[in-house]
Amino acid sequence: MKTITRTSGLAAALLASTVLFAGTAIGQEVNFWYHFDNADNPMSDLVAKFEAANPGITINAENVPWNSYYDQLYTSIVADNGPDVAMVKMTAQPRLIEMGALEPIDDRLAGWAGKADIQDDLFNLTAAADGTHYYLPVQYVILYLYYRADLFADAGLTPPTTCDEFRSAAVALTKDTNGDGQIDQYGFGFRGGKGGHDHWASFTVSRDGVGFGPGELTSAAGVAGTQFVLGLFQKDKVFPPSAPNDGFKEVIGAFQGGTTAMTIHHIGSSADMVKALGDKVSAVPVPECGGGHWTAFGDESTAVFSAAEDKDAAWKWTAFLSSEGNNAKFNEATGQLPVTKSDTANWTLHDKRFVDATTASLPFAHLYPNVSETADFTNTVWPIAMQRALIGEITAEEMNAEIDALFNK
Amino acid sequence: MSTTVVPPAPLSRRVLPYVMLSPAVLVTLAIVFLPMVQAVWMSLHDYVLFRPKDFAFVGLKNFIAVFQDPVFWVSLQHTAIWIAVTVPAQMLLGLATALLLNQNFPWRGLARALVIIPWALPSVVIALMWVWIYDANFGVLNDFLLRMNLISTSIPWLANPDTALYAIILTLTWQGFPFFAVMILAGLQAIPASYYEAAAIDGASSFRQFWHITLPGLSGVLMTATLLRLIWVANSIDVIFIMTGGGPGYSTYTLPLYALVEARTGLDYGYGSALAVVFTILLLGFVVLYLRRAGRNIA
Repeated sequence: MKTITRTSGLAAALLASTVLFAGTAIGQEVNFWYHFDNADNPMSDLVAKFEAANPGITINAENVPWNSYYDQLYTSIVADNGPDVAMVKMTAQPRLIEMGALEPIDDRLAGWAGKADIQDDLFNLTAAADGTHYYLPVQYVILYLYYRADLFADAGLTPPTTCDEFRSAAVALTKDTNGDGQIDQYGFGFRGGKGGHDHWASFTVSRDGVGFGPGELTSAAGVAGTQFVLGLFQKDKVFPPSAPNDGFKEVIGAFQGGTTAMTIHHIGSSADMVKALGDKVSAVPVPECGGGHWTAFGDESTAVFSAAEDKDAAWKWTAFLSSEGNNAKFNEATGQLPVTKSDTANWTLHDKRFVDATTASLPFAHLYPNVSETADFTNTVWPIAMQRALIGEITAEEMNAEIDALFNK
Repeated sequence: MSTTVVPPAPLSRRVLPYVMLSPAVLVTLAIVFLPMVQAVWMSLHDYVLFRPKDFAFVGLKNFIAVFQDPVFWVSLQHTAIWIAVTVPAQMLLGLATALLLNQNFPWRGLARALVIIPWALPSVVIALMWVWIYDANFGVLNDFLLRMNLISTSIPWLANPDTALYAIILTLTWQGFPFFAVMILAGLQAIPASYYEAAAIDGASSFRQFWHITLPGLSGVLMTATLLRLIWVANSIDVIFIMTGGGPGYSTYTLPLYALVEARTGLDYGYGSALAVVFTILLLGFVVLYLRRAGRNIA
């Protein structure tokens, strides 16, 4: 009798553990991809908090290196091995929709209590071309002009508000500071490598009547914009000579190291800028050029993928990251700005001058065209055309024609 | 007189070697030949990764496009320079190093160990290290040349289209010469000392000894090492990818890099595969020619 009891007890325990194991293993895992540069990565804290509040759901968070983030994402989706939830930018949205990779979230959003806490503009900006929502915003930035307040004061200059003032200031600040006959300080750190399209666009797409529509970039105003950039490098020589190859690391490093007096980036780098330069660094909106004003809106959202095994669990995690408190924690790590109204109201991470420059840039912050070609523009067409133009292989007309042909074939 | 008849080996004995070899063959088929066949198959299709449903057979369209593509010809030219400068430079530097290391001097063992360092370092580390050496603002190379009054302004080695490719070639030469040095050193030690003694008795000068004993003695090693390096260098993209990513413009594009950028960044796997197939055929022709020559020489 005893034996029978023991055996049946053991069988019951085995059965229970099998059910329990199956319960946790099937569908209750969410694979999440993100990219953080920050070494103090708080993701494990956020995951622990989420898992404690949602027993039975396991989050596998993977920090994927930024340089190959989208290459990895697209290939993994096609290989049917992609994440369930991932951090994504608007430039990737049309392509991901075309691949059928995204899950619409309108129904889920309608029933979500946290929706009212998300800043309204951000929802409009991250909607797809047909108005459907696939993205839930998680952070944002706007590009502005960093400048060395001390160097401007020494030279008796004020921060530039127009392209003409910008050019004069850049010329004045390009000089040999230690008298060895070598130029060792440049007016502007231009990002000629991948990711530098925002710099170029502020000087070019800003111009009256210039955008990405048919014939706009190839118009006289459009060509004048690119020519302005080329003139700064080739004639005025106000960019460091390495500008054609410079990426994020080089541009930020040169500014922090005192090699350049101005550059364009966003609030995400302000903490490191202050650490390196203290009060000597400040920021203003990018200059107005050719009768218009344009700066890039840097968005980042999370999206649930249509191939996700457990979409409910995936959505819970997505919503969690854009909720009060969690969103603040997330943005403390990335150094960008929270998307929730409540976290924004209590935000103290950034120095006020950088928040002010961001807010002042909001009225003319734009996204790139919401089309599949934008991914090619940022990844290959712009960097190669810009580098070739800077080194004199092609003209401003030819460069703009290449970009025009991409968007308007 | 009785004759012993050898019974035929049982079937199991005859099959056994093939069974033992089959795992290795299967793995090779799966990880080498299958992707190769797949690449050829993809090169005959329009296959853009973000439109996975459109997989239309287009015949040789991609190949025709390759030969009409100016970037292909630029990349091919760079690939030719890349191979023609890097491999001989590595070999000459390796030969000189090996001859030096074959002499008797104190701490020779340590010197032999140290020389292998560039070869042992990961390519990524080497590429990042040389990016800083070449840096226009903080780089040690510009600083040194400026102090020596050899140049008057810093040269942006990697951002200047005239110098970028050669700057990377120098990096790869530095990385690859220890391979030649070690191979040649082993070859040198296999040449019997008695040859040199006999030559010395006959009054042959050092140069004559080198020309008539050392070089012929090394020919087998040199052939093999050069052939191997040729294939590796031709395919090597990691150092270029990290140092310039092919830029500025197309200044440092080589064919394998172009294929990688088209497929992985541009997501155009059809065209990328066509580039890779064309490059493989070009390299294959070269390798076959070289193998025949090498085989004849060794024989």
